[in-house]
Amino acid sequence: MIEFESLSKAYGGFVAVRGLSLRVAPGEVYALLGANGAGKTTALRCLATLLAPTEGTARIGGFDARTQPLEVRRRLGFLAASMGLYARLTPRELLRYFARLQGVDERRIEARVEAMVERFAIGDFADRLCGRLSTGQRQRVSIARAAVHDAPALVLDEPTLGLDVLSGQAIYDFVADARGRGRAVLFSTHHMSEVELLADRVGILAGGRLVEEGTADEIVARSGEANLARAFLRIAREAA
Amino acid sequence: MRWQTVRTVLGKELRETIRDRRTLFMMLVLPTLLYPAMLVLIQQIAIFGQRQLSAAPAKVAVAGADPALVRFMDGDSAIRVFGAERATVAAVREGNVEAAVVLDAAPAAAAGSREARILYDATDDRSRRAQELAAARLDAWGDTLLAARLRGAGLPESFATPLAVADSSVATAEEAGGYTLGRFLPLILVLMTLLGTFYPAIDMAAGEKERGTLETLLTAPVPAAEIVAGKFAAVALIGLAAAVANLASMLLTFQSGIFRLGAAAELRFTLPPGAALLVFVALVPLAVLFAAAFLGLALRAQSFKEAQNALTPAQLAATLPLLVVTLPGIDFTPALALFPVVGVAMFFRELMTGDPPLIPSVLAVLSTGGYAALALVFASRAFGREEVLFGGGSGEAPRGGGWGERIRAWRAADRGIPLPAEAMAFIAAVALLFFHLGPRLQGGLGEGGLLASQWLLLALPALAFAALGPYDWRRTLAVRAPAPRTLLAAGMIALGGIPVGWSIVWLEMQLFEGGLESLVPLQELLTAADARRALWLFFIAALTPAVCEELVFRGVLLQSLGREMRGWHAVALSAGIFGAFHLSFETALRFLPTAFIGLLMGWVVWHSRSVFASMLMHFINNAFVVLLLWQPAVQRLAFRGESLSWPTVAGGALLLALGVWMLPRRADPVVPTPAPEGV
Repeated sequence: MIEFESLSKAYGGFVAVRGLSLRVAPGEVYALLGANGAGKTTALRCLATLLAPTEGTARIGGFDARTQPLEVRRRLGFLAASMGLYARLTPRELLRYFARLQGVDERRIEARVEAMVERFAIGDFADRLCGRLSTGQRQRVSIARAAVHDAPALVLDEPTLGLDVLSGQAIYDFVADARGRGRAVLFSTHHMSEVELLADRVGILAGGRLVEEGTADEIVARSGEANLARAFLRIAREAA
Repeated sequence: MRWQTVRTVLGKELRETIRDRRTLFMMLVLPTLLYPAMLVLIQQIAIFGQRQLSAAPAKVAVAGADPALVRFMDGDSAIRVFGAERATVAAVREGNVEAAVVLDAAPAAAAGSREARILYDATDDRSRRAQELAAARLDAWGDTLLAARLRGAGLPESFATPLAVADSSVATAEEAGGYTLGRFLPLILVLMTLLGTFYPAIDMAAGEKERGTLETLLTAPVPAAEIVAGKFAAVALIGLAAAVANLASMLLTFQSGIFRLGAAAELRFTLPPGAALLVFVALVPLAVLFAAAFLGLALRAQSFKEAQNALTPAQLAATLPLLVVTLPGIDFTPALALFPVVGVAMFFRELMTGDPPLIPSVLAVLSTGGYAALALVFASRAFGREEVLFGGGSGEAPRGGGWGERIRAWRAADRGIPLPAEAMAFIAAVALLFFHLGPRLQGGLGEGGLLASQWLLLALPALAFAALGPYDWRRTLAVRAPAPRTLLAAGMIALGGIPVGWSIVWLEMQLFEGGLESLVPLQELLTAADARRALWLFFIAALTPAVCEELVFRGVLLQSLGREMRGWHAVALSAGIFGAFHLSFETALRFLPTAFIGLLMGWVVWHSRSVFASMLMHFINNAFVVLLLWQPAVQRLAFRGESLSWPTVAGGALLLALGVWMLPRRADPVVPTPAPEGV
């Protein structure tokens, strides 16, 4: 469902991603691990059609992010690190807005919005302006927004950044549910616990390169370390 | 384009705007209150001022007058007469009296004349009033004397006035009101339309980036053009709503007759429905122009604050020329109609005064529509470009610490070429030096000062900036040996560009009268009488600016702009700044031809990456002026009588085109994209 093939992205003389190749199958959750500046956000932005790759391709459902961006976006639910909520819209209005933009059938929009309100338990504040919501409430609305068109591929850029344990749990539930419904999920993170809890496979980015890939257990075993956090540190140090 | 998407984006933007108190205030509350408040304020100030002025009699000292005249002056309750000891300049200046009347000695002959001089301070309102009162009283006294003389001579009073002149304005009260109010109401109307678009444009573009919502929005399966169309329509509609609210408030305020000032001055302001409709029609492209231009600028900024910084100069540039509308004696000509914003404001003025001329009016509305379309292209091209969406300027994190630490960090950084912001700060500093110290050097040292100002205030700072900063000085100054073919092409472009530049000046002269007379001193300076003087002029007026100005403009400025801008944009902006650098207080005529040659030189340097190519072009351009003023043969080549030699212009254009064709192109014109945050 999600594919990167020899993808590179350079900003002038600085290469942020170098020859990245990976695949995420339907019903699979893939975690992209990396230190700050490793190239995670750039890779995800290339897949989300926000940045044009310098070389190589990123695809969703066989559609090329560079040449068929609208087809890719139709199949993509994207959660940016910045959440992306409009402060002067209510969650209901926001969900309606994105449902329309995502091309959800006009007759199904209300039902879909209400389903999201119920699914992510945002009924209590669904008619309050987003600017007045707490961080946790806003993140639930963000997830609902990314899920409103029920895309087959989900890309989440550091989805639990700055969240407390309870709010983080909403993300975990959402990812687990998406896997159960056959969605391909690619997410970037710094948190090893999330990776161990959610990911079927893990890719470690360092200096823009995919330096390690496999299940968490495989990576730990190959590194000879006691756990994933130590394995990650060792791999990142060696790659540097 | 799918209108469904445009409507969706438009609806959402309008909904958000209606919930934004700041925009609502600017759009509806301010205009609703502004005009009544403004009128009441003007009225109150006028009444208060008048009361203050007339509260006490004017203090007038009289010297050299007969007792009868003193009594006559004192007979006016608005005047209080003081003795001759206060009838001095010092007394008036110190405010001991407000005016002083000093009379010559009485004439010996009965039919003689004597002068009464009134001393007053033209910068003091009370003194001006005293002067008016004293003059009126003296005139009345003069009339009394004249009448007595005529009676003595047995002549009728009409003897002294064979022709009595009286005037009466044929303008109706409405026309007089339109004339008075039409001078400033268009300015306010345009300004309020502009303000109506200012904050929404920033909020919908830079604000959306700052809040991180743009990234989410752009992952929706809709083309960027549809999103920008929806946003643009929202900004334009809000601007238009603000304009209509202003227009309605203005009409209600000035046509309602509830304010005493208009009635007291016998001024009435009416705008017939047809004229009001025309104002509305012209407001549409104006709102579109502001919306698109501001949205385009705001999209290129990374934050709300950065957008405000970018839009404020644009706002000033749009509004300052509007002062033309308030000036007396400015006619609504076709040339003026083509000026962005000013043209449409002049159209409003003419509509309010009653009778707009057809051709300039149509030109003003159509050209505003044209500028709006260009601005729309400017806005839409920004959307969807990754360096605009995630640019982040230099890509560097802001630094803290004191100034010493900042300077050390600046020196320690290795940038290769200066950042555009650094180069603009350098240009601002150089401009400050050049425009303040340059004239003093030139005034004190003459032609030596001219040389000193170029080498010390332009070349030396450019070399120091490039060499002492954390830069590669060769790349910063574009110090690179040009290929022979590049030099040949540059020479052809410069030579061909000269007569094309003349045609620009000719066109300016057709559109705007006068201006050339202010170039006479420059012409005198550059006219050589002999070969020795010509050689000196080639050195000070051609070679020196060619080296010094090129280091600054095609070196530091163009190279740094090119670091983060597309080639053409960097060339155009540097040419505009180069043109502005050559503006003088006396004439604006030099801007366009200088910017034109700046454009050619910038383009050649952009492709050749060699400042030597533009130095050659600059030398050819300036040396040709010296040659033209020195050699009659060259003058015959350039002019046919009073007009330009058009065959020479055509030949120049051909040579220019040939040079452009010959110039080797830059292999990698792609502008590097700065790394965004969160790599």
